Amino acid sequence: MSDALARVLAARPRAEKQQVRRAALYAALVAVASVALLALSGWFLTAAALAAGAGTALAFNYMLPSAAIRLFAIVRTGARYGERLASHDAALSAIARVRPALFAALAATPVARALSLSTGAASTRLVQDAGAVETALVLRSGTVGGAAAILSGVALIALAGPLAVLGVMGVAALLMAVSWALSRQLEDSGRALLREAEGLKAQTAALVEGSAELRCYALEDWAVARIVDGGTALAAAQQRDSDVRAAIEVASPVAIGVGAALALVVAAPHGAAIAALAALAAAMALDGLAPAIRHVTQAHAARAAYARLGALLDEAPPATLPAVSLEPDLVLYGRAMGPPARIALRGVSGSGKTSLVERLVGLRPAIAGEVSLGGVDIAVLPASTLRAAFAWLPQDAALLAGTVRDILVLGRADAPEAAVWEALEDAAFADRVRAMPHGLDSWIGDNGASLSGGERRRLALARAYLKPAPWLLLDEPTEGLDAATAHMVIARLDDRLRRYGQGLLIVSHAPLALVLDGEITPASPPAAADHRSVLFVA
Amino acid sequence: MAATTQNARAGAHPVRRGRPTALAVGSAARGSTVLLLGDAVAAILFAAGVAGGVAALARGMPAWPWALLMVVAGLARAAALWGSLRLGSRAAATAKSALRRTAARAALRRPSGSGSVGALLGAVVDEVEAIDGYIARFLPARQAAALAPMIVLAAIALASPVAALILLGTLIPFVGAMVLAGGAAADQSRRQFDALALLSGLFADRVRGLPVILAFQGEARATERLGQAAREVAARTMRVLRVAFLSSASLEFFAALSVALVAVYAGFALLGQLPFHAPEQLDLVRAFFVLALAPEFYAPMRRLAAAYHDRQAAETASARLAALDAAAMPPVGEGLAVVAAPAIVFDHVTIRYPGEDRDAVGDVSIEVRPGEIIALVGPSGSGKSSVLHLLLGLVPAQEGRVTVNGAPLKEIGSVAPFAAWAGQAPVLLAGSIADNIRLGRADAAPAEVAAVAAAVGLEDALTRRVGGLEERLDHRGGGLSGGERRRIALARALLKDAPLLLLDEPTAHLDAAAEAALIAVIARACVGRTVIIATHSAALAAIANRIVDLGAAA
Repeated sequence: MSDALARVLAARPRAEKQQVRRAALYAALVAVASVALLALSGWFLTAAALAAGAGTALAFNYMLPSAAIRLFAIVRTGARYGERLASHDAALSAIARVRPALFAALAATPVARALSLSTGAASTRLVQDAGAVETALVLRSGTVGGAAAILSGVALIALAGPLAVLGVMGVAALLMAVSWALSRQLEDSGRALLREAEGLKAQTAALVEGSAELRCYALEDWAVARIVDGGTALAAAQQRDSDVRAAIEVASPVAIGVGAALALVVAAPHGAAIAALAALAAAMALDGLAPAIRHVTQAHAARAAYARLGALLDEAPPATLPAVSLEPDLVLYGRAMGPPARIALRGVSGSGKTSLVERLVGLRPAIAGEVSLGGVDIAVLPASTLRAAFAWLPQDAALLAGTVRDILVLGRADAPEAAVWEALEDAAFADRVRAMPHGLDSWIGDNGASLSGGERRRLALARAYLKPAPWLLLDEPTEGLDAATAHMVIARLDDRLRRYGQGLLIVSHAPLALVLDGEITPASPPAAADHRSVLFVA
Repeated sequence: MAATTQNARAGAHPVRRGRPTALAVGSAARGSTVLLLGDAVAAILFAAGVAGGVAALARGMPAWPWALLMVVAGLARAAALWGSLRLGSRAAATAKSALRRTAARAALRRPSGSGSVGALLGAVVDEVEAIDGYIARFLPARQAAALAPMIVLAAIALASPVAALILLGTLIPFVGAMVLAGGAAADQSRRQFDALALLSGLFADRVRGLPVILAFQGEARATERLGQAAREVAARTMRVLRVAFLSSASLEFFAALSVALVAVYAGFALLGQLPFHAPEQLDLVRAFFVLALAPEFYAPMRRLAAAYHDRQAAETASARLAALDAAAMPPVGEGLAVVAAPAIVFDHVTIRYPGEDRDAVGDVSIEVRPGEIIALVGPSGSGKSSVLHLLLGLVPAQEGRVTVNGAPLKEIGSVAPFAAWAGQAPVLLAGSIADNIRLGRADAAPAEVAAVAAAVGLEDALTRRVGGLEERLDHRGGGLSGGERRRIALARALLKDAPLLLLDEPTAHLDAAAEAALIAVIARACVGRTVIIATHSAALAAIANRIVDLGAAA
């Protein structure tokens, strides 16, 4: 396991450490109680029968064993309840630690890599990997439980002599070895499953995007058949994975049968009562290994996930370069400008305006000689310096899930209430927020799903307004707005620029009712293949 | 389709289409259940082995024949479990295949403006997979949980009716506890599931929103927020789980209690110390048999509780698939018999997608005469593609009227039967270029394919290739230039030789020279057809008889 990942996992707060210990303790109690309950019962019955047969029934101390049996039943129930609570508590606490750490590492890796991991399939995988690691963590207490089961079983079987102990421990070791070996196969089958699933998604994506064409050529049924056929490879991979898991599951009943039989036969010379104790203790001890087997299985299945997450954490540089403070003067394609200048970026759709904008905020690798900030070429500036200079409205609005307030204060966490409302007014969105049931605390879901396109854009505009920066960088601020609203937005933008003296770089295909100081057409040729900006999620 | 929605809403079986599939899934699932019951029978044999062995030892006889029975019973249990899992996964595979078919169909017919492709991919692949556990494990476990305990009980009753009564006695308060808890086990499972889904969703949202977070320098705050949200959800969930786990604790309690009670009863009976007159005479064999078998009474129910997570996952998945299916547009019908270039009239057509506050297409009226070439121009978002999708029947309800040769589009459904489509990115299959062109009309002769390839100017591109028309491509069309792909698309359109031609940004992202060459090809292809072109390009729009500016209409 990677060092960085191991460090994150080990950095448990005290409360979580306590819960982990408690979960382990309870797991052990459950195991001991289970073994003792059945073993003691077996001994009790046999001893009672023998006593009755020998005529010593009246002298038999039945109070202690019967009380102990009932006690173990209660202990087992209580301990299982405690174990479930403690292990869930610890797991949820681990999630609260692991995911932020992953995110911080992702944010710190070099931009190109980080962004490639943030789209479509890669982000789904990242989420699934985190889940797999967390599941493995939850099952950790299972190993302690399994060990406790074997130890308590062995302690009881010891009454039947060392040979019985050796026999049962041998069976237990064999069971764990078989489970271990089978689990290792899960790594391969898991990888194959992932590969097939991603292949099927790619195939499906190509067909779904061409649905208009498929309609015309009556190819819908053909496309459905292609997708279903593609699913057969996935099904085969799933079958292999299920077979391995099934094999792991059926190893237990075999081991229990063999182990209990072995204990019975080996313990026979010690008498029926001890043999009964040994047989049932062996059966329950081997049964008690199930949680340990589950842990081993999940740990192996999650190996690839651990590796991927570890790789991510290892990549993050230990420290980020501090932001440099520079004069906000830009030189764009040889043209010098400084706030409060207003420049429009013009060009045919797809001619690279959005790419330029993304280069300005450090989301794309800079092109040397294209832009300089404060006299320094942006290709050599740290990303943090670049980003501090611009307040950006992305073309697709890109809202995070959260309350309106959460969304707005992304660029300025300590924004006073007055500033927030001012930004909303300037974006012509304040009335809409006031009309919401909880105002600023209303929840906006998955990329603003409950808002219309125009509303998302205005909210994103307000967000850009709130960020203190020398330049406003707006990419299509009036798209999706009806004429009246667009007019209002532009008028208030004009007003705000005058108020704060920010510079403006604006991309807009629509004519703007705004006094401009100049226009620039990005000089770089459009990229041959993919024009979609880094933000468009597959 | 209605059946899907109904079934999914009931949280019941996912869709099974057609009798053969239903039979296959049904019989495999039944087989799986039967084998689980066989597992119960094998457990009975195991108990018999232990009991017999101990009793034999008590009489001073050898125990090994009974030990052998124990081993055989263990192997039988393993075999039954194995078979059950195998049959279960076979049933699941069949059901998933049928469900994938439905999901794929719904995805291909998704209405325009319904958002990203990513969610659809998740539906067709991941969510269909999510029902695996439900069919393979949960359903057989649920069936078995009803029957297996009765089998075990019957076996116990043969040995000791009183013990059987004791077990039955614990079952009544257990059922009562379950009823009182009102499905708290299901509730717990659902809450836990939802909490994890919520945290996953939040994490995914932040990961996908990384560009914006980076640009606003909000990494630190986003990181802290993730941790904070997780801690909040954890605290809330723990409060719920504390109560919800009580219901599963009651299952555990009665399972343990039943064993304890049977043990105490049997022991006292053997000692002759029962405080009441025993209705039966118990000997060691019978008592031990009953003790060894007692844990198996509640075992099927515990196995079912362990499979609840699978049910949860399947319910969520099938709800999403049902929503996808319900939103899908109707399939292409027979439509209209159109041979010659049709006339199309758009009369005050307005398209507004759900959740948008601006029309995608605002009050557009166009009269397209037969054989005319119309160019739709306007900035992105002005609805050019929407008009084309509308004709194909991919747009949900809109205002206004569209008629084709006088017949209302609402009745025809879609122009697809007599239309051809060419865009920037044609669907490609792994095969030869000729195969790809032949997607336009499957029964075309090789000579026809060669003819259209020549007509669109693919020859020049093909002379550079070793195999010419027969050169094989991979399914991504690797090695084809943008221009070559579009020519393949146009070749398809020509092959179908349809009276209506729809072109969606065919020259986008091409440099000026390539665009000019392609425009010439397109001009040739338009002869004798009604053509509607959606484009940004002024050069392409120039070949049209009329240009309609959708941006100005807003």
